[in-house]
Parts: sequence; structure tokens; C-alpha cells
Amino acid sequence: MLSATNITKSFQTNCTPNQVLRGVSVDIAEGEFLSIVGRSGSGKTTLLNVLSTLVRPDEGNLVYQGNALSSCSDSQLNRLRQADFSIIFQFHHLLPYMTVLENTLLPFMNTLKPISRNLHNKARKCLDRVGLGALENRLPGNLSGGEQQRVAIARALVKSSNVLFADEPTGSLDKETGGQIVGLMSDLNRDGLTVIMVTHDPEYAQCGNRTITMEDGLIVP
Amino acid sequence: MNILTIPLRNIRRKPSRSCMLLLIFTLGVMSIVALYQVSQVVGSSLEKKLNAYGANIIVSPAAERLSVSYGGFHMGDMLYDVQSMSERETLHNIRSIALNDRLSVVAPKLVSMTRVNDIAVALVGVYWEAERSLKSYWGVEGEFPADRSQILLGRKAAAQLNLTIGSTITLMEKEFVVSGVLFETGNDDDTVILMNLATLQELTGKTDTISFVEVAALCSGCPIDDIVGQIDKQLPGAEIKALRNVVNQRMASINFVQRLVLSISMVILITAAAMVSLSMLSAVNERKKDIGLLRSLGYGKWQVFTIFCLEAALIGATAGVLGYLSGFWASFHALEFLTLAGDITPVFSFAHLMLTCAIIVMVTILAAAYPSWQGAGIEPSEALIAL
Repeated sequence: MLSATNITKSFQTNCTPNQVLRGVSVDIAEGEFLSIVGRSGSGKTTLLNVLSTLVRPDEGNLVYQGNALSSCSDSQLNRLRQADFSIIFQFHHLLPYMTVLENTLLPFMNTLKPISRNLHNKARKCLDRVGLGALENRLPGNLSGGEQQRVAIARALVKSSNVLFADEPTGSLDKETGGQIVGLMSDLNRDGLTVIMVTHDPEYAQCGNRTITMEDGLIVP
Repeated sequence: MNILTIPLRNIRRKPSRSCMLLLIFTLGVMSIVALYQVSQVVGSSLEKKLNAYGANIIVSPAAERLSVSYGGFHMGDMLYDVQSMSERETLHNIRSIALNDRLSVVAPKLVSMTRVNDIAVALVGVYWEAERSLKSYWGVEGEFPADRSQILLGRKAAAQLNLTIGSTITLMEKEFVVSGVLFETGNDDDTVILMNLATLQELTGKTDTISFVEVAALCSGCPIDDIVGQIDKQLPGAEIKALRNVVNQRMASINFVQRLVLSISMVILITAAAMVSLSMLSAVNERKKDIGLLRSLGYGKWQVFTIFCLEAALIGATAGVLGYLSGFWASFHALEFLTLAGDITPVFSFAHLMLTCAIIVMVTILAAAYPSWQGAGIEPSEALIAL
């Protein structure tokens, strides 16, 4: 479904190039729950960003459902992130000045066309599924970290995404809440959603079908 | 919910910042609108006052001019084939031009000569109402003629004929009473006898005939050439002369006021636009996280750019409406305070309101364009560092 081959990526740090990915190759099958683990600075978040098309690799090929993403234009990648990919982050998953329902519907607010009643209903069902049905009019500032993360997951559900990228989704949560979030992602994965999760925690990583470990910009065999 | 929801919610999120920006822009628009309204009223008032100093267009019958010189003796310029003008037809044609609303005064005249005690004097037939509107600088000792048996004398003519107020004089076998004498004007009016136009037409047997017409036209908003051209079209046989120096002088005074207002307005507008630009620049830096999130959700550069521009446009549109209304209100008070308006008042125009809003929205969008484009240009990876 999603395949990365010989991906390299370097960033400039104090005018010196810092190679973060050194030829990483990985294949992710449809419906898979892949956990990426590794120490800080090992390149796991950069790999997730490359796979989710937020960062373009310096070299290497990225193929999604048979289409080479390396040669896609910015607008094609935007469409892909809008339709097929969903990304959740460790912090700041939501716009703080919009309600829970509005944040859930944010991917559909990019035109002047009003959002349909059907999408509203779908968003409410998704919020119900993540247990936030009663909080749709709240602002993110009035939610706990776990609840905010669930809103981000509900947003992915409304989009009917194929792949959910999660960058340390439990990093800012306590153990119990973190467990609930990973459990929710596992449930969604069982329903067919492909999940790629970066985590520090080996316990959460075990919830996936497969775990890869990164070290110094490479996947440890 | 649509793309407008995002800037609307963000405006609501920081009410003090939004209100401050709105206030600055509203004050800017208010000043511009008030200045514009005041300048329009002052311009019209000034023009009206300046028009009191006489005509700026002369309509006279066409005549051939010949410079006669023979054997080294120069006889000067001679006019021949002078056509007379029909009063009724001429006035009707002048008043039926398309720009007739710009005609302030139309004053026909008949000029004739006669002798009084072997002294040659010029008789000028006028309509008193039109003449007094045209020459509001006239001052008179005694009264203006109240009926057709009364006449008004120029200062020099009165001295020459040795006449005073209440004297009687026989002109072309008809007796007249001197009702008043003009204070010295320094022009041709000092040497003539002025009487009712219809009376002079009867005395000279030239019914419905006039020698020329003086016209005072209001020239702001239309060039004098347009009015002259239209009269010329209506009166092909007549000679139309625009007293350009007079017009230019009047227009210069009015244009000065309007240029001054335009310059001040531009300074205000540029200052307000710079404030919007600075505010948007800081908003973009503050909201890098939002940009990163939107880009991760598939929003393109143009969509992020649109969100920031819409935010500026919403503030601009609100400031446009509030500024126009408050500026309109302020113009009344400014005119009252400055006692400049006279009997002219600012006129509310819905079309002006819409135009003002459109211009202000354009200016705010232009002011916000650069910072918005900078924000939109942030790569998702760069914005993600902020997450």
C-alpha cells in the first residue's frame, strides 16, 4: 500500500548538514498497524513525516497505491493528505478557537461551500465513537489532553482516511489515557484503517502488528 | 461552516486585538470620508461663492471681424454682418443642454446707444433677478429698480449726466426715474444706464432681440469645455466664449481644497494599511502552528493565503461600513464647527458606501497580501517544528 525505498533526508543545523535518514526502506501493507520506535534523534518522526508527505525526501522513492509520490506536485500531495491521510501529533492537534465539532470538520472547511448536513451528522457519529458526543460545542482549552487527542482521531474518522499517521500520540498523556488512545487506534485498525505510529513506549508499540526500530537514521534489522 | 468560519473564529478569539485593528481602520476611514464630504461641500460652497463674481461663458451672435487699413492709415478692427439673437430661442437652447444642471445663471442683455443732452450713453437692458445673481458684488446707493419705469445708473454715467437718486430722465422719448446708482465697480457697468430688458426692447423696437448672454456655470465635476461644446451644438450660429482664466482660477481654488484632502486621505490610508500589514505579520508568526496543522490536513498555500486575507477583508469591510457612517456623521459636525457649508449639506449615497467598502476591502487585502503569502509559503515541515 505504502512503500518507501532508500529514503534519505538531511537538515541544515548551524550551517552543517545533519543527515537524519540514511537510506531507509519500508513497506506497509493495507490494514497494517506499524509501530516505529527508537531513541530521540533516531529519525523516526522524520520518517513518519516523509511517509505522510509533510516532508519531501532528498532521495529515494515513495509509492502509495502504485503511484510515485516523489514526483507529485504540491497540490497533488495536498489532495492526498486531504483525502487519504490523517496525521495526529503529540501536542496541538486542534485549532484552539474552534469548537470540538468544528475541529472535527476542519478538513472540509477549505472552500466557501458550506459543509453539508450529512457531514455534520457523520462528524457527530465519529465524536460519539471516540466518546466525545456530549462535548461537541466545547473549545479545546476545556478538554483534557486525552480528549483532544480523541478529537484528532475523530477528525481522521470523518475523513474516512486510509492511513492514520500518529506522531507520539501518547507522549503528553498519562499511562491510562495513553492506553485508551492506543486502544482506540487498535479498534480502528481492526475496522480496516492502516495505522503508522511513532512511539517511545515499547508497551504501546506491541499493540501494532509489526514494530520497526530506528537508530541513527536507519532501520535496525 | 466554510472557509470563512476560520477567520471569523480567530477574530472572535482575540477580541481586543481585533477591536484595536478595527478601531484604527474605522478611524482612518472615518477621517477620509469626513474629509471627502467636507471637501465636496466646501468645494460646492466655494464655487457658489466664486460664481458670485460674474459669468464664465459669453454667448454672442456670430460676426465677421475685419482689420481695416488703407494707405498707411489704420482704422482698427471692424465688425460687420453682426447677427442679432432671438431671446426666446437662445435662452431655450442654452437651458436645454445636457449639463443644464451645471448652469447657475443665464443673463441675457440688449445693448443700445442713445443721446441725452448731446451726451452719448449706452443703455443696457437686463433682467434684474438674473443680473443681481450674476453680479452679487454690486453695491447700490438707493434701490434696485422695482418697476419698468425705473432705471439704475453706473457711477460715472450718473456724474456725467448729473443725475441723482429720484431724478427723472427722458430716454428715447420715455421718462424714467433713477431708483439707484451703482457704487463704482471698475468695469463697464460704471458708464451705462441699466434698465429692464423688455422695456429697452420696446423702446428700440427690437422685440425678442438680445445682444449677448452671460452664463455662470458650475464647473466642478465637468470641464467648461463640455458646457461650451454643448451650447455650441445648440446654437451653431453663435459665438461661445469661455472665460478660461476665470474658470481656471475658480477651479484652482476648488482643486486645491480637493487635492489637499486627497493627500491627507492617502497618508491616513497608507498608515492604516501599514498597521494592518504589521498586525497580519505578527498574526502569521503567532499562528505558525495553525498553518502547520492546516497544511497537514491538506490545505494548500492558496487556501492558507485566503484564510489570512479573508480575516483582513472582514475587518476591512466592517471598518468600511462603520467608518463611512461615522465619517458621514462627523462631516456634519465638522461643517457646523467650521461654519463653512452655508446652505449645502453632505448627501448620503448608498453607492458611495458600497464603493468605500470595496476600496477599503481591497486596501486591507493588499496590505495583508505580503504577510499572508509569507505565511502560506511556510512549508509543512517548517511549521511542524512549531508543533
